[in-house]
Amino acid sequence: MSSYKPELQVSARNLEEVKRLAQAGADAIFVGNQQFANRQPGDFSLFEIKEATEWLHSQGKKIYVMVNAIYHNEHLESLPTYLKDLEQLKVDGIVAGDQSIYQILRDIKCSLPLTWDPETLSTNYQTLNFWAQRGLSRATLSNELSLDAVIKIKENVHFPIEMQIHGMTNIFHSKRKLVRNYYAQIDETYDRSKTRFIKENRKPETHYPIFEDLNGTHIMSNEDLAMIEYLDQIIDAKIDGLYIEGILKTIDYNEKIVALYREAIDTYLADPAAFETKKTAFKQMIADIQPDDRQLNTGFYFKEQID
Amino acid sequence: MTTRTRTKPELLAPAGNLEKLKFAIHYGADAVYIGGQQFGLRSNAGNFSYDEMREGVAFANKYNAKVYVAANIIAHNENLEGLHEFFKELYEIGISGVIVADPALIQASREAAPDLEVHISTQASVANWKTAEFWKNEGLPRVVLAREVSVEEIREMKEKVDIEIEAFIHGAMCISYSGRCVLSNHMSARDANRGGCAQSCRWKYDLFEDGTDGTVAVSDESDEQYTMSSQDLSMVEHLPDLIEAGVDSLKIEGRMKSIHYVATVVNVYRKIIDTYFEDPENYQIQQEWIDEIWKAAQRSLTSGFYYDEPTEKDQLFGRPNRIPKYDFAGLVLDYDEETQMATIQQRNNFGIGDEVEFFGPNFYHFKQTITAIWDENDEPIERAKHAMMITKVKVDQPVEKFNMMRKGK
Ligand code: SF4
Repeated sequence: MSSYKPELQVSARNLEEVKRLAQAGADAIFVGNQQFANRQPGDFSLFEIKEATEWLHSQGKKIYVMVNAIYHNEHLESLPTYLKDLEQLKVDGIVAGDQSIYQILRDIKCSLPLTWDPETLSTNYQTLNFWAQRGLSRATLSNELSLDAVIKIKENVHFPIEMQIHGMTNIFHSKRKLVRNYYAQIDETYDRSKTRFIKENRKPETHYPIFEDLNGTHIMSNEDLAMIEYLDQIIDAKIDGLYIEGILKTIDYNEKIVALYREAIDTYLADPAAFETKKTAFKQMIADIQPDDRQLNTGFYFKEQID
Repeated sequence: MTTRTRTKPELLAPAGNLEKLKFAIHYGADAVYIGGQQFGLRSNAGNFSYDEMREGVAFANKYNAKVYVAANIIAHNENLEGLHEFFKELYEIGISGVIVADPALIQASREAAPDLEVHISTQASVANWKTAEFWKNEGLPRVVLAREVSVEEIREMKEKVDIEIEAFIHGAMCISYSGRCVLSNHMSARDANRGGCAQSCRWKYDLFEDGTDGTVAVSDESDEQYTMSSQDLSMVEHLPDLIEAGVDSLKIEGRMKSIHYVATVVNVYRKIIDTYFEDPENYQIQQEWIDEIWKAAQRSLTSGFYYDEPTEKDQLFGRPNRIPKYDFAGLVLDYDEETQMATIQQRNNFGIGDEVEFFGPNFYHFKQTITAIWDENDEPIERAKHAMMITKVKVDQPVEKFNMMRKGK
């Protein structure tokens, strides 16, 4: 028997969430500071990262720090020190998607393992093998891939692969302040504490969350991914990291989702037949706690695209 | 006072097909970029077959111009076939370089044709000097910058890294970081990073807020609906800033645009670059250059991220404004000095009494009223109504092959 076990990963907003999500069954928690990271549910200071790291390590769990902004010259002034600090804190790795990260890690002789996550640009195995030769430790695949393509990539690389299995996905990133600009255009006051979404013209059923952070404007997918009933295929393909996006969801929801996926994964690993009988029920339990305005689907994993 | 040792930057123009390639070069482009039949993002931009590339390269060579091929898809596993053959063929044809976004293609190109230059495409969002340094260390001669980079940031990049920088000076823009938008994949099942973008950012949306009293429509059904459409980039008024920041290649967007567009825009920037280099100290922007750019403009214009971060003033809201205000009316094929007659291929309806403007390379311009037209059979006619019909037109001043005739709408 191989020692394969997928790592169940989830993003967290603050220290309390780190603990609750880990206790609910996550193997690894993703945190970030908004200065260097896109789309963070929270905004961890170095001190908070230190506390989270110590606590998670005491539980035998991992912590990855997101530094996935698209860097401009300005970021580069403080990023090297930040990375060195993270290295000292002994976090388990960083997640980045800007090509300069390879140069920076080399320049500052930083040995932090790198999870390469260039969002939309992680779409074939030759590209990932190119980056593997330049130092990535793991790679996150783009969400706009079929499950077959994911499996094919996994078969053609020699490092761990991660994919998102639950939650909303990012579908657009602009450096501009596209929400604020609109309020200015229509002469309304912009209140940054509100959550917002857009609907396609004459498609009232659509619901795309939109928000700004320090690195610009982000639009999220219309549906929440929910791959729980297909975990058998994903686990059979030995995908290494399974990510749950927690952004724009309550901690209660995320905690239940993590617990369900934990149970589903463990069930399948222990007894595939039991998973088979229970998978519809797992799916139903997610549907039961799903917010009304967020439909579930399987993203691009089973969908055809025209290129 | 700085001593000016700068060499002229390259003026790089789009060429959607062979005709556009010839016009771009004729009007003063130092280099053009084209698409092959595979691996490019503009699947419907009239891409070049290998034979057409050969013809394009032969034409370009006569004018000492370069031809680059954009092979800028973000490949999926199934797109990896045939890469080596493709790059080898381009090299043998005499293509000067390829513009590539996906490292799988970079690697294939370097394996198949080590002497073919590889430039990193804007689709890779090169936005800082360390990324430039990374590619420099990989042995690449040039990066095309992300459109989110400012003039100041370019200056810093050039100070810190010895690599050629190509930057956009004119044309349509993604409002997202290029390559980081899959709206089209999600809304139309078309992959934006493999040429399928449906321009979803320019659609109309309704924006809602989750407030304390439930969901509130911010823009529902108002005529100022939510949208994310960018004005087009134009650095016509600020080109010396980019030159002085050290940009090596000034790039015009628009492989899908008409020959009228390409010729007009190239003509203006050629004029600006040459005028600036003749006497940088006393250079002054001329109103007629700005006016000329507007004759080809398709949307209102902005300097993008080059100075300040764009605001709502750099976006397009409401009804699209009615630009362009000019039609490309005819193309000069020939001119007879004795009779002062031009042979003109019709590109849009024109006729006697119309105010038209002729223009050509080196910023040649004159206006006249059409007084007489003959058709192919030398019959006098009132209007040239048929698409592409060949006419003879009496002209007030000499014209030559490749000159164009436009008229106000
Ligand atoms: S939808 Fe707009 S921002 Fe997105 S790829 Fe297309 S043009 Fe660019």
